[in-house]
Amino acid sequence: MTNKTKNIVVTCVMATFFLGLSVFCWLKPSDDFSNSERRKLAQFPGLSFNTIMSGDFMENFENYTLDQIPLRDSLRTLKAAVSLNIFRQSANNDIYVENGYASKMEYPLNKQSVDRAGDRFKYVYDKYLKDINTKEYLTVIPDKNYFLAEENGYLSIDYNEMITELKEKTDFLQYIDITENLSLQDFYKTDTHWKQENLIDVAERIATQMGTDIETVYELKTLDKDFYGVYYGQSALPLEAEKIKYLTNNTLENCKVYDYQNSKNIAVYDMEKAYGKDPYEMFLSGSLSLITIENENAKTDKELVIFRDSFGSSIAPLFVEGYKKVTLVDIRYIHPDMLEKYIEFNNQDVLFMYSTSVLNNSETIK
Amino acid sequence: MLFSSIPFLYYFLPSVLVLYFIAPKKLKNTVILVSSLVFYGWGEPKYVVLMIASIIIGYFSGLLIEAFNQGKKAKLFLWLSVIVNLGFLGFFKYSDFFIENFNAVTGLSVPLLKVALPIGISFYTFQILSYTIDVYRGQVSAQKNIINLAAYITMFPQLIAGPIVRYSDISKQLKKRIHSFENFSVGIRRFVLGLGKKILIANILGELCTDFKLSHDKSILFYWLYAVAFALHVYFDFSGYSDMAIGLGRIMGFNFSENFNYPFISKSATEFWRRWHMSLGTWFRDYVYIPLGGNRVSKPRQFFNIFVVWFLTGFWHGADWNFIIWGLFFAVLLVIEKTLMLKHLEKSKLLSRIYMILVISVSFVIFNATDMKEAVSYIGGMFGVGDIPLVSKEFFYYLKSFAVVLILGLIGSTPIVKNAVEKFTENNKVSKILIVLEPTVLVILMIVMTAFLVDGSFNPFLYFRF
Repeated sequence: MTNKTKNIVVTCVMATFFLGLSVFCWLKPSDDFSNSERRKLAQFPGLSFNTIMSGDFMENFENYTLDQIPLRDSLRTLKAAVSLNIFRQSANNDIYVENGYASKMEYPLNKQSVDRAGDRFKYVYDKYLKDINTKEYLTVIPDKNYFLAEENGYLSIDYNEMITELKEKTDFLQYIDITENLSLQDFYKTDTHWKQENLIDVAERIATQMGTDIETVYELKTLDKDFYGVYYGQSALPLEAEKIKYLTNNTLENCKVYDYQNSKNIAVYDMEKAYGKDPYEMFLSGSLSLITIENENAKTDKELVIFRDSFGSSIAPLFVEGYKKVTLVDIRYIHPDMLEKYIEFNNQDVLFMYSTSVLNNSETIK
Repeated sequence: MLFSSIPFLYYFLPSVLVLYFIAPKKLKNTVILVSSLVFYGWGEPKYVVLMIASIIIGYFSGLLIEAFNQGKKAKLFLWLSVIVNLGFLGFFKYSDFFIENFNAVTGLSVPLLKVALPIGISFYTFQILSYTIDVYRGQVSAQKNIINLAAYITMFPQLIAGPIVRYSDISKQLKKRIHSFENFSVGIRRFVLGLGKKILIANILGELCTDFKLSHDKSILFYWLYAVAFALHVYFDFSGYSDMAIGLGRIMGFNFSENFNYPFISKSATEFWRRWHMSLGTWFRDYVYIPLGGNRVSKPRQFFNIFVVWFLTGFWHGADWNFIIWGLFFAVLLVIEKTLMLKHLEKSKLLSRIYMILVISVSFVIFNATDMKEAVSYIGGMFGVGDIPLVSKEFFYYLKSFAVVLILGLIGSTPIVKNAVEKFTENNKVSKILIVLEPTVLVILMIVMTAFLVDGSFNPFLYFRF
């Protein structure tokens, strides 16, 4: 009798579960965008004889069902919670959380990638900087793992080995060590990037090494919007929101910023992007290939060219005080050969400033 | 289509089961056939035609063999069916292997055909062969209804990764089977538990194996961790699939034979193969080993028979030398056990445990190697050949990160949990609690597994490639 009842209950409950979720899947309207993952979601694929025979329909339908499943974000959070709390796995999708800081493991050290980055920097040096009166510098921005991984038992690259490798490859650049000016608290808890408001001493350290004085007074402003960094969506964990703060003053407010990629003037702090999908893009409008910041009130005629990745967006405004013109080049988005159209290299300070995560994955550098 | 995918779980399966249960009895096999063709075509639209061709050949061969009643012509049609079906298998699965080896021996460079392997061809070919051979032997009657035969061969629960269901086992059920709450309940429970084996154990241990292969920080204990993790990965992957197949069959009223019986508790390689992939083992026993004379021949001949069977078993798993070596590795062990070791292994638990840990670990390292060079290198690593440290940073990290899943896997590969559950359910009070507890646990498991699928990457079943 008990078994019979159990069989009926199991049958009814499981049939209801599968049918219910199936109906929910079929009927739920498709979402266009995932805010937590900051990406467009797959839509119902085109159905035709060709797409079926090629298998494209099936592959795209699978992606569609994964992206459009009801309660997707909650399910991802559940998976992360089970992985970390029940299975006691160290990381979920390679992202771990320690002391409230989420970080993606960067491992192992890819020496070939570091060498490649060095080769690309040399290419720029040989093409534009060799035998002219520019001064060239290199600084490496450690990621959060530098402060967090090894001491908490996560796999971590040998940062000294990486920097030594890069320095050997780029012996034509003067290396500026900023690791002692940084700590874990200088990074956002849920994002890969550093906090601009904590970078004044880092910027001063770099500027001093380049023989420039950038000391000035800033006003600290706070964006009235919660900031969930890139690891918030990727980890799917319920991490606390943060606030983006930014430094400003008269000099920065009066700077002229020009975006060559889109041929338009932009602001140092892009308030439209600040309230967009990735608020960190408020710093110099995010990923742009070529930008100039002109400070007409500068006390000097010095110019600075920074070859940089996304970390450069938030620190670059802090150099403006000591330079008449700061040019930011992202050679992940523009080939170095194109630069002669826009930049006349002559008597500038040239800084190669790259994060360890880009150096370890340098295939994006052109 | 993968069982462990959202399209299968929440689109295909519910739709098919609704259609199946509302269809009149006469049309139920048609529903199975059509849905199985959709299921197969989802992953291999071009190869549906090949499978249909194999079915048609098998169907007419069966009828003709029966019509000629074991005479010469019956034998002719049997051979025709065997040659054509093995021809398909040989062409799609083994042609490039033979060409590569031919080129290596002769120094020629005959171009490879590079034909894609149709999913499940090894499984459905063996089912068709067993059907025609059984008809020839007079063990079963030829199926007159092509829908029924096609439904048997294409039946989506077991089509692409087994178990290899014999026609003789389900011929009666193709005509008449029972649909009941008990079958549905037992079937869905088996399906969910099988899915759990795949998603919550096999896939996670698969990640560990992938991480190991990419590692530049290997150590002796890391090699062993990999060997254990991969053995558990294969077991939970394949036995999970078999559980799902058996469960789905049960929902629709079919009783498929078991494919695994806790192989890792075996005391010898001989016992291991009585518990591992049982449907393949019995297939080779009945259609190769016994026809060759089995063990009712002289010892040398028996050993030869064993080597033939295990060569074929290895080769069935893949067109590469490591699979052949893997099969022959077991042949050697079986011969040694039969002549020397079996008595000692059965007497000493400790000896048999150590022996089987070595056998299982080494055999699956060979099985998963990309080539024999890698297999030798990995086995060397396990035994400290070369300048390899005992431990490494990565070993400790991965051991810590996967410890819980490894322990769950080790426990789950023994009958401990099954025995405990059976003991508990003997208690009347516990049985009553299970009325609520069992469906609750199954639903929670399904939600958790769905979460893993949504957040996970593509993890196809390992046995699809065979």
